[in-house]
Amino acid sequence: MSDQPHGAPGTAGGLIGRRLPGRQDRRLLQGRGRYVDDIKAPAALHATVLRSPVAHGHIVSFDASAAVADGRVHLVLDPAEIARLTEPIPVTWQLPGQHLSQVSLAVQTVRYIGQPIGLIVADSRAAAEDAAELVVVDIDPLPAVTSVPAALADGGPLLYPECGSNIAGQIHFGDPVDDLEQIMATAPHVVERTLGVQRINHSPMEPRGILADWTAATEQLTVWSSTQSPHVVRQELAAVLRLRVDQIRVVAPDIGGSFGGKVTLQVDEALVCLAATILGRQVKWIEDRFENLTAAYQGRGQQARARLALGSGGRFLALHADITGDLGAFAIQAGSGPFQVTGLALEGPYRYDRAGATVRAVYTNMVPTGAYRGYGMQEASWIRERLIDEAARELGMDGLDLRLRNIVGPGDMPYTTHTQLTYDGGDYAAALRRAAALAREHCGASAGQVSRGAAATACVEITGFAPSALLEMFHIDWSGWEAGRLRVNQDGTVTAFAGVIPVGQGIETTLAQIVADRLRIPIGWVAIQLGDTDVTPYSDLSSQASRSLTLAGGALVQAADRMRDRMHALASRFLGADPADVSLDSVAGTDASPDKAVFRAAGTEQTVTWRDVAHRGWKGWGRSGSDQIQLEETVEFDPPAITFSYSSHGAAVAVDRETGKVAVTGYWSVNDSGILVNPLIAEGQITGGIAQGIGIALLEEARYDADTAAPLATAYRDYVLPTERDVPPVTIEHRCTPSAHIPGGFRGLGEGGAIPPPATIAGAIADAIPQIAHSLTSTPMTPARIWAALDAAARPGRQAGREHAAGDAPR
Amino acid sequence: MTITDITITVNGAVRQAPAEARTVLSDYLRHTVGLTGTHVGCEQGMCGSCTVLLDGAPVRSCLLLAVQADGHEIETVEGLADGAQLSPLQQAMLEEHGLQCGFCTPGVLMSLTHAQREGLTEQEATSLLGGHLCRCTGYGGIRAAIARLWRDREVTE
Amino acid sequence: MKPAAFDYKAPETLPEALSLLASAGESAMPLAGGQSLVPLLSTRRCRPATVIDLNRLPGLDGVSISRDTVHVGAMTRLRTLERHVGLRQALPVLPQAAALVGQPQIRHRATLGGSLCHADPTAELPALAVALEAGLRLRSREAERTEAAARFFTGPHATARQPGELLTEIEFRLLPGFRFWFEEVTQRGEAGFAVVGLCLGIALHGPVVTGARLAAAGVAPWPLRLSAAEARLTGRRIYDDLTDVAEAAVADTDPVADLHGDVRYRQALLRVLIHRAASHAANMRSPV
Repeated sequence: MSDQPHGAPGTAGGLIGRRLPGRQDRRLLQGRGRYVDDIKAPAALHATVLRSPVAHGHIVSFDASAAVADGRVHLVLDPAEIARLTEPIPVTWQLPGQHLSQVSLAVQTVRYIGQPIGLIVADSRAAAEDAAELVVVDIDPLPAVTSVPAALADGGPLLYPECGSNIAGQIHFGDPVDDLEQIMATAPHVVERTLGVQRINHSPMEPRGILADWTAATEQLTVWSSTQSPHVVRQELAAVLRLRVDQIRVVAPDIGGSFGGKVTLQVDEALVCLAATILGRQVKWIEDRFENLTAAYQGRGQQARARLALGSGGRFLALHADITGDLGAFAIQAGSGPFQVTGLALEGPYRYDRAGATVRAVYTNMVPTGAYRGYGMQEASWIRERLIDEAARELGMDGLDLRLRNIVGPGDMPYTTHTQLTYDGGDYAAALRRAAALAREHCGASAGQVSRGAAATACVEITGFAPSALLEMFHIDWSGWEAGRLRVNQDGTVTAFAGVIPVGQGIETTLAQIVADRLRIPIGWVAIQLGDTDVTPYSDLSSQASRSLTLAGGALVQAADRMRDRMHALASRFLGADPADVSLDSVAGTDASPDKAVFRAAGTEQTVTWRDVAHRGWKGWGRSGSDQIQLEETVEFDPPAITFSYSSHGAAVAVDRETGKVAVTGYWSVNDSGILVNPLIAEGQITGGIAQGIGIALLEEARYDADTAAPLATAYRDYVLPTERDVPPVTIEHRCTPSAHIPGGFRGLGEGGAIPPPATIAGAIADAIPQIAHSLTSTPMTPARIWAALDAAARPGRQAGREHAAGDAPR
Repeated sequence: MTITDITITVNGAVRQAPAEARTVLSDYLRHTVGLTGTHVGCEQGMCGSCTVLLDGAPVRSCLLLAVQADGHEIETVEGLADGAQLSPLQQAMLEEHGLQCGFCTPGVLMSLTHAQREGLTEQEATSLLGGHLCRCTGYGGIRAAIARLWRDREVTE
Repeated sequence: MKPAAFDYKAPETLPEALSLLASAGESAMPLAGGQSLVPLLSTRRCRPATVIDLNRLPGLDGVSISRDTVHVGAMTRLRTLERHVGLRQALPVLPQAAALVGQPQIRHRATLGGSLCHADPTAELPALAVALEAGLRLRSREAERTEAAARFFTGPHATARQPGELLTEIEFRLLPGFRFWFEEVTQRGEAGFAVVGLCLGIALHGPVVTGARLAAAGVAPWPLRLSAAEARLTGRRIYDDLTDVAEAAVADTDPVADLHGDVRYRQALLRVLIHRAASHAANMRSPV
């Protein structure tokens, strides 16, 4: 066990806290990335997915005879064949009462436009698409559920008639509803709003893609997939294809972004693998952007009726939200997860006498939803911070003052929320004051038709998700621990393995910094291997939920500490010296090689090189008694608790009142994620998250036709992503409260940037134009919607006070 | 369906291979010529991942038929570095953390290479960046790379 | 998304191109810059049997400026227009509007003729052509004609170009004393697709408007000439309250609602653009 205290900054290796460029960057800059479509596979066949053109209906017939007759076509999979050859994908995280516990590949009733119903494999993608046009599918249409309100309407269409309703399940977190209602009924002031967050497309710049190879002779399936979670894909494929897990190897090559959209096996990907097993060939499928925007699982999609009860001086008495999440056509593996996390994370950094959230999820005839960066916490921030700002406005208080009045203080730590989250340290008020001051200072004055405003919000981020016990308690059928395996090779180089995946977040760099730092060796000696189920440790959750650095890093801190001790002990025996007199010459930060770095016995000329220690150690020499021989250490790190990051964001906006266009003119993040391994990478993550938050706040929405449930934003012209012009320079200030739960003191931050922006920007718009503040309840706050709100506010005879959002409700 | 022999000079080397008329240049470069550094993000010309230089001008290779490039000069990201020596732009992007997942990066590099060569202003270079979608960085590192590069250029001029 | 198969021709002379078009008829699509057509091919929304590549035809690009007119070859790249020194003197609204189209990378390939023939109701250059009463020269194997811009745009992505015809040249008659300005409201940031755009030109005698030209994009299924607004504006003092001019313009509109704006919002934007463009034009340096 290392003598390094958790979280001590400035360890001897000197690599923690260094702003090193990403280790992959050089080759990526040279165009030597290896994303799945780059893998040389000249013998591969190419698939295209046949997808339902209607949102709801029974498949009556499927005639692929013309397609099969095309000489370039090698295989057509139809619904009957798929049903015969596959098992469903098991669901991992269900709501109480949820009747659907699996995702079926076999489809008789289609339930969303874009749903995979078949597959064509041909010589080329173009040929496959040619053949796809020849397939005749007859679907008996059923009425479609095109929105959450429609899903709940009495007498409306049901996706699963056997269920009796479109409600998939329900769960309550926190204090009992009766307690909350009692406070709401008697409180001096209650603010109530209906708040919504729209469906979002992850839209990584690399869409999904998979290359599957079945070797018939050995009955082995090898899959290269743009995935965040290869071990999950492996297990799910085994279930689907009726194979043993050890017949399948899943490799994640370079991944061009994921953001939660690549955490599970999706049906189309599974069909490609099925095709490979049937053909005994390599089959490749690369998702195109149209599919990525319309048929890949989406994120967010939630409405909440929320109330905040306040007492004298603005004290928070109670907080309650009735949250309804849009699951889409079925619950995917963790489909309701984000809605549940909204309930869990609703309170944020504030104290309430009572708090709770009631969460339910409904089925709609749209593509299913699931994880997206921020995972329910962004929606929680939206609900909570809008309520607080509106309460401040109604009470005639300043929003900052109202927050500070109720904020959890450093002296309250550890602080347990009403939903049983235990915050582990931090000074929320200091961060909030700082963010608010920065935003206000840079706000600027309104002039002409441009109104300017500023605001700041606060949030707490669940990171390092999650202890196994917690997952078991919630019946989340995924492992939450991470293993780090570290090996000193025979030549003295060091290879480390973990179960997390590089998706652009720089984890291959930060883990190398951790390993080299703890071993006190040059980082050039360290290789990090990730993303191959044959080689890397088991991990289900893998790279999501702001956990890669904290948990894989925490494991490798311990593994490296053990290995350092072992190398030291071996060196001492080889030198015949007392370990207290032996030290490794300082080589950290140099490019010394393993055969130049020496252990030295003090007061003697005796040295032995690091490389020699490794070389001899592998021979079994120098060990005592029952010592392990192989120079490998594996540490399984099951976090004792969730460790929380926190941040306050400040935003300054300029609103053109004539056009409704909102420009974010300045943006600040005051962020505490404990010990930062690489601040350069950390700032990139936070800034990227903020850009996505701006997209949610102002630009992006996966909208659907109200009658047909057809997706309307099918290309980048209509699904509007932030460009350089939409993201102002972001200023990030770091605070550091090391985590006592994580070896190394790290806290996660992958999602943090994306959580506060919509609420912060709305607060700034409300500050700029108070007369529309009450209508800022749904995102995106597009120019058309801001204009409509201004127009409604200007018209005579308008009701003052609590109007709901002008403009469309989110679907 | 027309199949044509196409001859393109790619990064200074003459490459010749047939393709269907409907094959777009991005697919031809990636799968026929074998240079996978140019990426495909949308096939609608909006995201910029596929940007290459056509006779020195930054264009969307997903919006050119491969056959249209016959007889022309194409430069891709693979041609920017001189062996192991990164171009000043690549070096600036490296140091300023102008990339994370790297997927949009080659297209950005081609646009900014054009801006440098043509002596465009920093603002014009940033305007070219406006033609690229990046989902990872929030553009901060890329802007820092542009600022560093244009500042260094002023120093050496 | 891969295109459906097509035959590809790359004629090297205009007669050859016109001959190909004549024989292929409706099943042929001319390929200019490709920035609008290739996306349609990739999604298979457009499935021509033959694509006729215009990029090897000589003499279809280029700008010629005389005292009264500007002639622009249909294959002239927008990037060329954007940076054209002569045009910045003679007809500055053309480079100004060209610079607003899409992104710079698109403009390196996109052409004036292609933009006009694609006839996107929210596009800048069709509205400009209508405001300037441009003449669009159309050639077929048999004949040549000039279509007025006002009659060229017949619907969303629909024009008066007949299947055998090629747009070869666009003629702009210069209007002495007029100052033109293009103003638009974009979906996001300060560039990219417009929600509503306006090309406005005024001639001033002192503060009095002696002539007006207005045409808008994004408020009708085609670029809309705002004749009623022009009539109201003519004879007015430019620094007057122009609310009634804006209302006259809105009365002519027939906006198509989409994800980026409903009818009322588009009309509101048109009002704003009229005020802003008029104000800008009034403050412009008067033309030589």
